[in-house]
Amino acid sequence: MRRGYMIVISMMVFLCLSPLVSLSGTEAPSSGDILNHVDDLFRGSSSRATMVMKVVTSHYTREMTLKAWSKGKDYSLVRILEPLKEKGTSTLKARTNIWNYLPKVKRVIKVPSSMMGGSWMGSHFTNDDLIKESRMADDYTHSITFRGIRDGQAVIDLTLIPRPDAAVVWGKVVATVRENDWTPVKIDYYGEKLGLERSLVFSDIRELDGRMLPASMRITPTDKQGEYTEVTYSEIEFDLNIEDSFFSLRTLENPGVL
Amino acid sequence: MKAFSLAWRNLWRNPRRTLITLTAMILSTAVLIVTHALMLGMMLQMEHSVTDITVGQVQVHHGLYLKERSLYDTIENWEKILSAARDSGITAAPRAFGFGLLSSGNKSAGVQFRGISPAAERRVSDMAANMFRGEFLSDRPAMGVVLGRKLFRTLDAVVGSTLVAVVQAADGSLGNELLHVEGILKGVGEAFDRSMVLMHAEDFATLFVFPGRFHEIALNSRGTMTPEQVAEAIAAAAAGNEVKTWRQLLPGVSDMLNSFGGSTAIFLFIFFLAAGLGVLNTLLMATFERIPEFGLLKAIGTSPWRILRDIAAEALVLGMLSSSIGGVIGAAISLYFQLYPIVLSGFAEGFNTSGIVISAQWSASLTLRGVIWPVIIMWLVSVLAALYPAAKAARLDPVRALNHV
Repeated sequence: MRRGYMIVISMMVFLCLSPLVSLSGTEAPSSGDILNHVDDLFRGSSSRATMVMKVVTSHYTREMTLKAWSKGKDYSLVRILEPLKEKGTSTLKARTNIWNYLPKVKRVIKVPSSMMGGSWMGSHFTNDDLIKESRMADDYTHSITFRGIRDGQAVIDLTLIPRPDAAVVWGKVVATVRENDWTPVKIDYYGEKLGLERSLVFSDIRELDGRMLPASMRITPTDKQGEYTEVTYSEIEFDLNIEDSFFSLRTLENPGVL
Repeated sequence: MKAFSLAWRNLWRNPRRTLITLTAMILSTAVLIVTHALMLGMMLQMEHSVTDITVGQVQVHHGLYLKERSLYDTIENWEKILSAARDSGITAAPRAFGFGLLSSGNKSAGVQFRGISPAAERRVSDMAANMFRGEFLSDRPAMGVVLGRKLFRTLDAVVGSTLVAVVQAADGSLGNELLHVEGILKGVGEAFDRSMVLMHAEDFATLFVFPGRFHEIALNSRGTMTPEQVAEAIAAAAAGNEVKTWRQLLPGVSDMLNSFGGSTAIFLFIFFLAAGLGVLNTLLMATFERIPEFGLLKAIGTSPWRILRDIAAEALVLGMLSSSIGGVIGAAISLYFQLYPIVLSGFAEGFNTSGIVISAQWSASLTLRGVIWPVIIMWLVSVLAALYPAAKAARLDPVRALNHV
């Protein structure tokens, strides 16, 4: 489900940078090159990040400080640092499974498949969003549909249509990147009936661990007026030496690992 | 009065004939009363299984709750509704609902948590008396839960097990608590058995970070008022919420009960007809047998009116005697089945169909109407059955009547 989302998740949880593709502005870029760049931008060997997640819904507003580790697309671990009441609540993802650690009851709970569609920690991300990953260029047919100045910025629009055999819930995805460095600006997700369902907007482009990255992204569901989830990175390190064994239930249950 | 003492003497001039007629009438009356009581008992039991086990006669919800099932669609002014119900002598139980995950070891299940007030729930429904194992919730919040009949198997839980509840709390956080199994309910209905977790309303509020809010108020007058009267009594206090009777909430079950009621009425009618005709036949034969006797009476100068009167008196005495004995026997048997229900199967749990539980115990329901009608019908049948041949005999020529075979 929502395979297109992996970008979000990659950025949010397992932000990893592979060496940036060097771009020459003279050549006409292909849509495949741009998609691979965006995918690779947020995927690499490993990462460790601290971020703030702000969730605004019609019923509550909450802000959490999270610490996240990741390795490749298969492993990630997220811990809540704040608020104090939820400190230590953690999520481990290993391949297609998700476990939550609940410090209050000192128990690890595996998230069953029936709950995969449920919200992750009250945000607009689902558990499914955490585990479903793929490369956009593999799942969609793509083409450049716009190239020029919009809102005073030189941008390129890519329109992605899912391949018939791809397990994708979206009917269409439109990704907008800056023309000069292919930094993502916005990704719109359209439903099967081609109505806009969610928008992901990137902002606050700054240097993080030596890379220019959008430090903030906001997901807005179209059907819920005024609601959004915003993730802002305060710190991130890339290409660390983390063993696969770090992403184990033992680490999950050990609140000392911070 | 003289006619009646004469009738009494006449009846015992042929004790065998009288006893046969009497027995037929007593048996018919008794059987009619018992059948009626059993049918009524089954009807009431079906309605009771809907209203008294969980649903109540009337429920109040937020206007959108039944459609959306959102945690945030709660009842407004629930205290006002509860006090209005109390003033009208209606029992009321507030309930809060929320979905979540319940797990035990490596088994887990998606469940519906129901925050209830155990004391109020005991008054409104029979849930507390419907325990399969263990105890119902105590009045103090202590993170105890009562599980549905099938859920405990899914979770491999027993009374005393510790379970972990994980829910999406009202403030967006991941609500989690350790819960202890205090009891397991008997079968109530498929959805309920599979997913229901009962807990104290205050524990629910802690788990869901949602104090003082309720999604449902179940109301039950426990037989003193109709569902419509209950809805009427709290309508003003419940303004702004949705008030529905159980028939509106469960139209399928309501239709089923109605059609069952209709077929029961037809069945009872046929049964009354058959019993009435049986008695009619016995009485006709008994009176026809006596036509030569009436001829003799006419021959010695008895007036036709006198003959008719004597026979009517006999029939009345016979009817009174048999219907009162039959009434007492029928009522006694009905009362017995009311106190000691018939056990239909070896399984003490009953079975359910379309979400309502049919108890494996079938009890009768004795009512005044259920006794009076069979008695009146037997009287009428006995008098009518005697008058027809008597009228015929009274008009007969004495000589022909004497020779009538």
